[in-house]
Amino acid sequence: MKDAQTAQSRSTNRVAARQLLWMGVGAVGAFVALLFVLGWLAGKTGGGQVAGDGIDVKAGSITISYPFEPPQLDGTRATDLSSSFVLGHVMEGLLRQDDHGAIAPGVAESWQIEPTHAIFHLRTDALWSDGKPVTAQDFVFGWRKVVDPATASEYAFIMYPVKNAEAISKGELQPETLGVRAVDDRTVQVEFQQPIAYFDKLATFKTYYPIRQDFYESRAGRYGADAADLLYNGPFTLARWVHGAQVRFEKNPRYWNRDTIRMNAVDIPYITTDSAAVMNLYKDNKVAMVGASLGLDPEQLKEVLVQRWPIERFNEGAIFFMEFNHRDGRVTHNLHFRKAIQLAFDPGELVNQVIKLPGYLPGQSLFPEWLRGAEGLFRQEYPAMPPKVDIAAARAELALARKELGLESFPPISLLSDDRPLTVRITEYLQARFKEELGLEVRIDRQIFKQRLAKMTSGEFDIVTAGWSPDFDDPMTFGDLFASWNLNNRGRYAGAALDRQVRIAMGSLDPKTRMDAFGKVQSILIDEAVIVPMYERGQVFVRNPQLQGVVRRVVGTDPDFTHAYLGPN
Amino acid sequence: MTDATLSAAGFEPVQVDRQMQQLTRPSLSYWQDAWRRLKANRRAFISLYIVIGLLLFTVAGPWVWTVDPSTQDLDQVSKAPGSDRRAFIAEPYQPWDGVRTAVPEGPASSAPPTNVKTVGTTTTQAVRLTWDPVAGVAGYRIYRNIYRPTAGGALGLPLGDALTPDQVSFEDRLDLEPMTYYYAVLTLDRFGQALSAPASLGVKVVRVITRAQAVERKLVASESDAKVGDTLQLALHPFGTDYLGRDLLARLMTGARVSLLIGIFAPLFYVLLGIAYGSAAGFMGGKADSVLMRFADFVVALPFLLFMILFKIAFGIGPGESGIFPMLVALVLLSWPSAARLVRGQILQIREEGYIGASRLLGARTGYLVMRHMIPNTMGVILVTLTFAIPSAIFTEAFLSFIGMGVAPPTPSWGSMCNEGIRTMLTTPHELIFPAVMISTTVLAFNLLGDGLRDAFDARMRSRE
Repeated sequence: MKDAQTAQSRSTNRVAARQLLWMGVGAVGAFVALLFVLGWLAGKTGGGQVAGDGIDVKAGSITISYPFEPPQLDGTRATDLSSSFVLGHVMEGLLRQDDHGAIAPGVAESWQIEPTHAIFHLRTDALWSDGKPVTAQDFVFGWRKVVDPATASEYAFIMYPVKNAEAISKGELQPETLGVRAVDDRTVQVEFQQPIAYFDKLATFKTYYPIRQDFYESRAGRYGADAADLLYNGPFTLARWVHGAQVRFEKNPRYWNRDTIRMNAVDIPYITTDSAAVMNLYKDNKVAMVGASLGLDPEQLKEVLVQRWPIERFNEGAIFFMEFNHRDGRVTHNLHFRKAIQLAFDPGELVNQVIKLPGYLPGQSLFPEWLRGAEGLFRQEYPAMPPKVDIAAARAELALARKELGLESFPPISLLSDDRPLTVRITEYLQARFKEELGLEVRIDRQIFKQRLAKMTSGEFDIVTAGWSPDFDDPMTFGDLFASWNLNNRGRYAGAALDRQVRIAMGSLDPKTRMDAFGKVQSILIDEAVIVPMYERGQVFVRNPQLQGVVRRVVGTDPDFTHAYLGPN
Repeated sequence: MTDATLSAAGFEPVQVDRQMQQLTRPSLSYWQDAWRRLKANRRAFISLYIVIGLLLFTVAGPWVWTVDPSTQDLDQVSKAPGSDRRAFIAEPYQPWDGVRTAVPEGPASSAPPTNVKTVGTTTTQAVRLTWDPVAGVAGYRIYRNIYRPTAGGALGLPLGDALTPDQVSFEDRLDLEPMTYYYAVLTLDRFGQALSAPASLGVKVVRVITRAQAVERKLVASESDAKVGDTLQLALHPFGTDYLGRDLLARLMTGARVSLLIGIFAPLFYVLLGIAYGSAAGFMGGKADSVLMRFADFVVALPFLLFMILFKIAFGIGPGESGIFPMLVALVLLSWPSAARLVRGQILQIREEGYIGASRLLGARTGYLVMRHMIPNTMGVILVTLTFAIPSAIFTEAFLSFIGMGVAPPTPSWGSMCNEGIRTMLTTPHELIFPAVMISTTVLAFNLLGDGLRDAFDARMRSRE
């Protein structure tokens, strides 16, 4: 009886096990089927189309990735790099930069710039993407929009060389009084506020792009919000813009210089800051470039070396520095304290041992190496002479500062920074460095970019790691940064000598006089230890060797695919 | 039958055999029994040793390994354990102005630069290259590779450009390692495009250190103890170094303090709070119980992360200061309900037992009932909750430090070390592996120990053996 029971129970067990097995198989099968169905549905309904290969010779198109999408594409309000990148491909101003950074004709086929005014003659074949011609009135309308206080453009200041621009943006005058006039449909006349040496460079800038009034008004406040809410006059049109997912340029068939454009489409279906993901995409030949906008990081660089891909290097033009808080009551208000930091910091060690990227240069001056001076490069004409690293001297300066401030010991120094991985690394290096060499306690205040700016503006820091990217190709884009009236001078440095030099540079047209003034600004910044330059940012990136003619620019559209083409394999 | 004879001896009282009543086996208290069964559970016992080892590592470790966890050894950045540590003593680095020579007149040629050679010794301080000027070019570009160059192959890292034709030198100081590099120099046109094929040169780099650095890093007692050209061994880092050259072993020890501090104290406090709360609710019962338990439900619903941030602000913890204290407070204030519920359930059950009624009839007061009968009987549950709460608290700390809410730099914790290590996971995996293994081992050990304790404290298991 007992045996029978056991046997029975054994067979029950076997049946149960078999049932379980079948159920398990069924469940796994159902799960797999569900995944397929979901995948198929996602393909049906997803916004982005299935992306092609990095290089598609037959279609004449490339696929790339870009870290950010533009917040909006109204050129009057655009401030960030991604807007510059997109607008630079789909719009064109009076003038444009050629492949070597020189000024070239854009919508204007000829122009004269005099000390008091400028005249631009527009070409007849410049058309909007709906077929209507680009006229002088479109520039007048666009520029008035920029300085109109109702637009609240952050870049209104770049229009200030135009007569009355500053007064209009402060609400003192009407936008109609702006010093720009359509003499006729084909002629734009600009009156200057004061003589300006670099207006041709400004005329290539995105804030100076034209806007057509009837189209702008028909969009009822949505101008530039979507691909359909924008009229194009550049080499490409925005064929597709799926927010957060995809941007696609296609060749503009109405562009006046269409015969020089060889790329049919530039597709950006990967909008991501995840550099490791982009690296994998490049490996699978899904994108044509890696590090096209943010550059590769040191770890990826090691992998690229192992893969034996050709690496390129590009100086972005931006300078990064430690900016002191010059407000009263801060220890950094004291010159000796700032000198101590300046003497204890070695930008060479920072770049070579901590950042470890070949595109970066040790910071020596607020004026980066690439800037052009009167004839050659500015820094070769006016070499920066930062003091050599000297720990003993730094300690002596610190002792002086302590005496002057009447302090027993220094309170913890607040080092404000953003939260990019590289900045995290740099601030930790600085923290250890100042602790070891100067005995200073440093507290790192890590904030997201916007919050960092807010804290800089309200002055809640002692030292901040800040940077500046050039807006136009003239030393002035850096030179007036620490003038007492500049709102971006967030450490509130106020020096009469520096202000005087900036005014000289602003009021003059003579290159030599201007560069001399900038040279003096450079030495004041070093002598007064207003800032301590850390590094000039560079990028190393990898480009598919078949993709040629891509232009990297310090100022303006970067990377520029306007004249890119696909070479032989 | 009648044969039976009665004797006086038969009427003597039977000797009481005390031996009979004695237990043959030693009596075991609850705790002794639990300990016995825990010892029998090999997994749990190994875990116990691991936990003790961890505590020793944390508490006694820094006495044995006295390296400062925030000192940066920039000679050995991101070094895996067991890397070569040999270095030569050299003179301090002197800046080099480079070489400028007259450029020969002539038409632009597309020939590569000739006579590429090094200047001076090639050390980790600097590698200095010069070459002969080429007519008609706008500049030179210098590459560095880790592989022997092949025709048409990749040239490696583009180190930099010399932007005038007369500047025929380049100084490389970028992250030099003791190995053989292959440099390549080519000429540029005025637009910065390559004009010629590369001329290459293999350079063997040796690691050097200056006397002052050797003294600073405590490798020699004084500068007179070392002469230029001597070799010495750089500081030993048994577990390697991180991305700023900080000793990983020392950081793991310091990090363990933070992790175990949170991991042990937070559960201890909130379990105690939970006991008090749960036993009060369970003992009072009725309306008071349901009010108290609804409040516990309410606390369960509060989002931990949000409160952690709120506490951080409320305590005035500024940026750059450690967020460990608000983390502890948030953990204690928000995690007690689970322990309270468990204890309350136990108390409710025990309240109805016969011995409680008996004790009450004999005049026991409430406090006595709770302390003498109820808490000891819930002890098993409580200890098990505690051991399971520890790994989850360690995980919480690791997670919060990973996302940057916990410790402030340069203080490490295992979670923040993982966060730092994950960026370099592919190239220097040891920076991630060590802290990750520490977290995993600790959590596993505490979990297995908790598992063993649950078995050991479960009185019902006794009869199964």
